[in-house]
Amino acid sequence: MVSRIIARPVNRRTILKSAAAAGALQIASPFVISARAADNIKIGLDNPLTGTYAAPGKNEEIGCQLAVDQINAKGGILGRKIELLSEDSTSGDAGAAVQKARKLIERDKIDFLVGNVNSALAQAIAQVSNEKGVLHIVPGGHTDPITGKDCKWNVFRVCNTTRMEANAVSQLLYTKYGKKWHFITPDYAFGHTLYQGCEANLKKLGGTITGNELTPLGITDFSSYLIKARAANPDVLVVLVQGNDMVNCLKQISQFGIDKQIHVAGTQQELEAVEAMPPEARVGVWMFEWYWKQAGANPGLDKFVSEIRKRTGKVPTARTWFGYVTIHAYALACEKAKTIEAKTVAKALGDMELPDDVKCQPNKVYFRGGDHQLMLSAFIGELMSKGDGDPENLFKVNSVVSGDSIAPSVAETGCQMQMPA
Amino acid sequence: MSQLILFNITNGLIVGAFYALMAIGLSLILNLSGVINFAHGGFLVIGGYLSYTLTPYLGFWGALIVAPFLTAIIGWLVERLLIRRVYGRDPLYSLLLTFGLAFIIEDGTRQIWGAQGLPVSVPAALSKPLSYEFFFITGYRLFMVAMVAVLIVLLFVLLRYTRSGIRVRAGTLDLETVSALGINVRALRSLNFSVGIFLAGFAGVLAAGQLGLDPNMGDGLLMPSFIAIIVGGVGSLTGTLLGGLLIGVAAGVTAVFFPSASDAIMYVMMAIVLLVRPRGLLGEEGMLS
Repeated sequence: MVSRIIARPVNRRTILKSAAAAGALQIASPFVISARAADNIKIGLDNPLTGTYAAPGKNEEIGCQLAVDQINAKGGILGRKIELLSEDSTSGDAGAAVQKARKLIERDKIDFLVGNVNSALAQAIAQVSNEKGVLHIVPGGHTDPITGKDCKWNVFRVCNTTRMEANAVSQLLYTKYGKKWHFITPDYAFGHTLYQGCEANLKKLGGTITGNELTPLGITDFSSYLIKARAANPDVLVVLVQGNDMVNCLKQISQFGIDKQIHVAGTQQELEAVEAMPPEARVGVWMFEWYWKQAGANPGLDKFVSEIRKRTGKVPTARTWFGYVTIHAYALACEKAKTIEAKTVAKALGDMELPDDVKCQPNKVYFRGGDHQLMLSAFIGELMSKGDGDPENLFKVNSVVSGDSIAPSVAETGCQMQMPA
Repeated sequence: MSQLILFNITNGLIVGAFYALMAIGLSLILNLSGVINFAHGGFLVIGGYLSYTLTPYLGFWGALIVAPFLTAIIGWLVERLLIRRVYGRDPLYSLLLTFGLAFIIEDGTRQIWGAQGLPVSVPAALSKPLSYEFFFITGYRLFMVAMVAVLIVLLFVLLRYTRSGIRVRAGTLDLETVSALGINVRALRSLNFSVGIFLAGFAGVLAAGQLGLDPNMGDGLLMPSFIAIIVGGVGSLTGTLLGGLLIGVAAGVTAVFFPSASDAIMYVMMAIVLLVRPRGLLGEEGMLS
């Protein structure tokens, strides 16, 4: 009896092993299995449903599902119904994302692949889709090479490149707030290219960089970086981290009162993050890649917002829109090509302009044939702590600039597109 | 520069105090029950989210007190129904059990409260920096450190002067003898586990105010706690406290010179301690080597 209740002593090695396993806990994830039918057009979504990007991943899925339901209600693509198969790519494990992409392509025989929120994972699964010759749209992974030097005939992207984001705000920050900038940058593909873009722009404008704090992804405490940033005494504190890191960083900035002393700004800001912040942390100048409240009448936009509100009780975010656009663009290209064969659809998608009810924004929105990058508008403005009478409206849009005007030329991206014969 | 380092040492102590609170709960459970509680981060998340749900009814202060108790009750149930069954088995069993539990808690949280992070505001009186120069010492951070200090002192007093506390300490050293003396070891472990989870729940409420809530918030805080235990020495609560403070300060100071290495420094410290003094700074000799 006694021996049963007495534990075996735990030794140091066990604790070490368990510490190693704790690391694995952050990247392992459960499977998601969906039902499927035989003659439907199958779309595979390989996106994070767990981990730090679970919220944007989920919103992209909601947008995809709305588009799928709308298209099916109108008879599907070329008379065939479509179905969405969703897999959890995890938020940071490229191995898992690639395995899910292979599973979707080889076992589920999908016709079209969508993913990923994480830039590094998007790059990894693009290798797979390219090898298998499956058409692939990256809805929300921003790092430049995807439609730059690593561009592929089968890979398209909906969200901005990091260079476009840097270009959207650099001039404004420089003229409005000053020429000494200090950066807080996430230490992975997305952060690196975004920082390089800002750095190049600032140099061109004649400004100086007082420092760049490279922070590990998922870090919870930014205070030591903020102490260093304030000591450097810049004009602008440029925050490039995303997701929960953005929430934590801005929260600590406002608690320390740094926003009262230094201008706080950045490139990409997302509604998911802003909604997760307490009102006092909603500060600074940013760009949204898409925003639900726009000036002027736009029936397509109103319909999209009300459909999403019906499903989730909330307004759509840029992520919801990415998912929505991705599926609609695919359907439109298939209808235009009159086939779902990947090479023909890829050609139809190049240079395709999105109609009003899909683009939901002013300016011309189209896929550039040379690098397969969507030219979408940038919404530049300021965060509002409580909304102007509307608690859902947390961003004051000051200007909407067209994608063409902020994108580098195809030659500058380094993309040499090789379309198959 | 010296001012910057001084800033970061102070700041590191604040962060370290928080790691210590987490690690002491983990350490309590490990010492008496031999269970390496992987779900500790999960219980932290439960504490944080419960306080979020309770705040509209009880206010910040009410939630601060009630949420950790509710978390402890959940912990007690989990111990009675699940953890208890793996006592006395190979540590691998409890490892797998709590590992799975961590997933269940994380996904359960996502189901109930949603994948998107939730905002948490702290009382206005606490949310301001105390002075212009020491801007990184906010009322809330000071309050956090004070709460951690109070809890830890309280815990040490309980362990030293109450009958149950003395039994827990005796059990840590020699559970067989304690059991042979007629003490109900099962009840003792139940109580001990609940106290450990209470600390996790409390850490969760404090972390929610500092960081906001998201279902993965426990992951990032679990690793430093493990390292705090290893650096401080398994079997010693004082060592764990010291370990937590040390890695907090080390991470803070490293951020001055090599920002991207501020996470890695904890692992480097762990490696050095393991090479030079494998039982940790204050670990019991022979007990866990």
